[in-house]
Amino acid sequence: MAPTKNKRQKREDYRAALREESVTELPRKKFYRQRAHANPFSDHHLIYPPSPDQMDWSSLYPDYVVEGDPMEQNEPSETAADQSLRPVKPKRLSKDVEVADIGCGFGGLTIALAPLMPDTLILGLEIRVSVTQFVEDRIKALRAQNPDTKLYRNAGVLRANTMKFLPNFFKKGQLSKIFICFPDPHFKARKHKQRIVSTTLNSEYAFVMKPGGIVYTITDVPDLHGWMVQHFDAHLSFERVSEEEQEADPCVEVMRTETEEGKKVERNNGQKFVALFRRLEDPSYDAVV
Amino acid sequence: MVVPYHLLTECGNVLFAARGSDIYSFTPQLQHISTWKYPSARQNGSSGPSSAPKASPLPEEPPSKRRKVGAGQDGDTSVHENGVAQPQAPVIEGRKNQDPSHQERPFIHGLAATTDHRHVVAITGSDKTIWVFEHDGQGNLKQLSQRTMPKRPCSIAITSDNQTILSADKFGDVYSIPLIPSPSNFTTPDATSRSATPSAPHAFKPQANEFTVHTKRNLKALENQKLGLKIKAADKPSEPTFEHTLLLGHVSMLTAVAVGAHPATQRPYILTADRDEHIRVSRGDPSQAHIIDAYCLGHEDFVSRLCIPPLSPEILVSGGGDDDIFVWNWAEGRLIARASVLEQVQKVTPDAIKVAVSRLFAYSEEGSATTIFVICERQVFSTLLFAYIHRKLTASSVPAVFGYDLSGNQLQHIVTIPTASNPLDISTLHRGASQFPDVILAVDPLVSAEGTVGASLIVLTRDETGLSLHPDLEKEALVIEGENIKLEELQKILYATESLRKTSDFE
Repeated sequence: MAPTKNKRQKREDYRAALREESVTELPRKKFYRQRAHANPFSDHHLIYPPSPDQMDWSSLYPDYVVEGDPMEQNEPSETAADQSLRPVKPKRLSKDVEVADIGCGFGGLTIALAPLMPDTLILGLEIRVSVTQFVEDRIKALRAQNPDTKLYRNAGVLRANTMKFLPNFFKKGQLSKIFICFPDPHFKARKHKQRIVSTTLNSEYAFVMKPGGIVYTITDVPDLHGWMVQHFDAHLSFERVSEEEQEADPCVEVMRTETEEGKKVERNNGQKFVALFRRLEDPSYDAVV
Repeated sequence: MVVPYHLLTECGNVLFAARGSDIYSFTPQLQHISTWKYPSARQNGSSGPSSAPKASPLPEEPPSKRRKVGAGQDGDTSVHENGVAQPQAPVIEGRKNQDPSHQERPFIHGLAATTDHRHVVAITGSDKTIWVFEHDGQGNLKQLSQRTMPKRPCSIAITSDNQTILSADKFGDVYSIPLIPSPSNFTTPDATSRSATPSAPHAFKPQANEFTVHTKRNLKALENQKLGLKIKAADKPSEPTFEHTLLLGHVSMLTAVAVGAHPATQRPYILTADRDEHIRVSRGDPSQAHIIDAYCLGHEDFVSRLCIPPLSPEILVSGGGDDDIFVWNWAEGRLIARASVLEQVQKVTPDAIKVAVSRLFAYSEEGSATTIFVICERQVFSTLLFAYIHRKLTASSVPAVFGYDLSGNQLQHIVTIPTASNPLDISTLHRGASQFPDVILAVDPLVSAEGTVGASLIVLTRDETGLSLHPDLEKEALVIEGENIKLEELQKILYATESLRKTSDFE
């Protein structure tokens, strides 16, 4: 049901006020609600770079921008021809994003991970506009609340359809961790292609991950858990991480307790199924001997 | 309506041209040799052993989406010289909502020949079928197999060893199927294919039974539910019964697939292009096809065509909805050059706002440079008043072929060949007389007010000075009669590239 005009007005007023003042107050979810599903196959009005080297990260992580003339930072290998082909030279960061929270929702995990890994850039990716806006405001407020400790400077959020455009944001082997927390289960068989994990899509996760990197999955739906395990197991670039190692990983605990959905499942005394998968080294593909 | 030849492929000394649902073969002098006709139930008078349309006991069941053509896998339908095939009628399941305008015979929208000239592969659209023909070297086709894919194939490629067909489909998946299906019956799809769904999900089971339900109405509902399940199970699109392997997949409609060999290692690679601007470079060995080695990223609109010039196999030329065509070092995913198509199109049709590349063809001669020929569609502001005010765009075609010289990693426009009507496809044609192959164009013929149809195949003859337009003479070969299809429908099929553009681009 579309919100009544009154409601919409309230929502807009609230967000405008939040933006105007340099508020350090956390945003309130009720002004950012949105339908829980988005069709990953449709052409939303998405903004994404044509390729990762044209991605401008500076607005997401202003504290990590390398100052100075971007032209000077060009790699010596780049010729004039290369520059004419890629006219847009975004500002550089001192480090690349290494952790992606795919389908970050209201950002619980992204924000919980930020202080845990203060030297790593963490990016939440979410397809729903309002929800992305919420996380953005939340991060802004948290940064403002912690001016001295410089916390949350390493967390960012982007609106994106990762099922289509993951390689537009990340280079080959850039990520060391991918989190897939409580994804949409898509129960109907004809909707299975919309699931965020599938053998064919896993190839893209493998592409953007460095060997040794880990994919974290958690869900409260046993069928979906089975599906994700099956599809990662079937993919030759991944192996399942053992139970002991899984439980020793501090990120697993955060994933269980800090995600919004995780808290909800906790309240309802639901079950949580966790599975971790390690990205393996690719076999060589040289000439046949 | 006059249906023109819309796909061309040279196979040895024979030119194969697809027209509607049929494949015609021609000698280098454009003498008609034979025709393979798409098996039509209606034409034969017998409707075949069609499974009688079941009266649905559940009226609320939605109508089935597409008609299915039964996969008569080894229909040996031979075509004799100048003869028309007498094929077995395909099983056409009754479509519940018979749409009178729907195509009875699906158009061929992909045609490829093996490098040894012994086989021709065709794909037809709405019935999702891949056809393999044996070519006797003289222009006669013998149908070897007819395989219905799980989803509609958009593009096919044949591996360099001529053993395997790669089919890229509308759902984003690439399947490999053997060119010649192995004689042994294919029984276990799960053993050989890494299916997208490793196991069937739990079938829905009604939780209630006769003991838990008591009222008359509820019992009836339960009965209906069970009946519905039974029908669903029977109607379920079964997995293909032939050998097929899922190699890779995008979450986007695939538009083109190509096979390349790494310049250093000579190992095969699969290149796939999708509607979301990606060109993916995956390893070609079936056991490693899940490994993506690179992406060629830089397109800002859909990619519709890929072309690896035979004389520069390290290079990929790609085109789509962008103003430019791109040149890549595909193994590294590195952009080398780009050249504007829109600029050239505007010289022919100044009203063009956007272009969409519908064909890319590499024409090369031993020891000299490669010419890339481009055929495209354009978008113009609509002339309808309402649409004009709202600056709506409509698709239109471009009556010219554009030639670009590819040398020294640069792409330079060298020639624009204006044609009287719209070009549809392009191929080489070795006419024997000259040491240089000629170029043949299939065009949408002009129809005069009196109803005379213009040339549909045009030869560009090649001599020492270059290519010159040479409207062809052998009219007999080109006499094409009308077919029962509406103009708009035909246009939609022949000029489909612009429709890949995302509508949000203009908002």
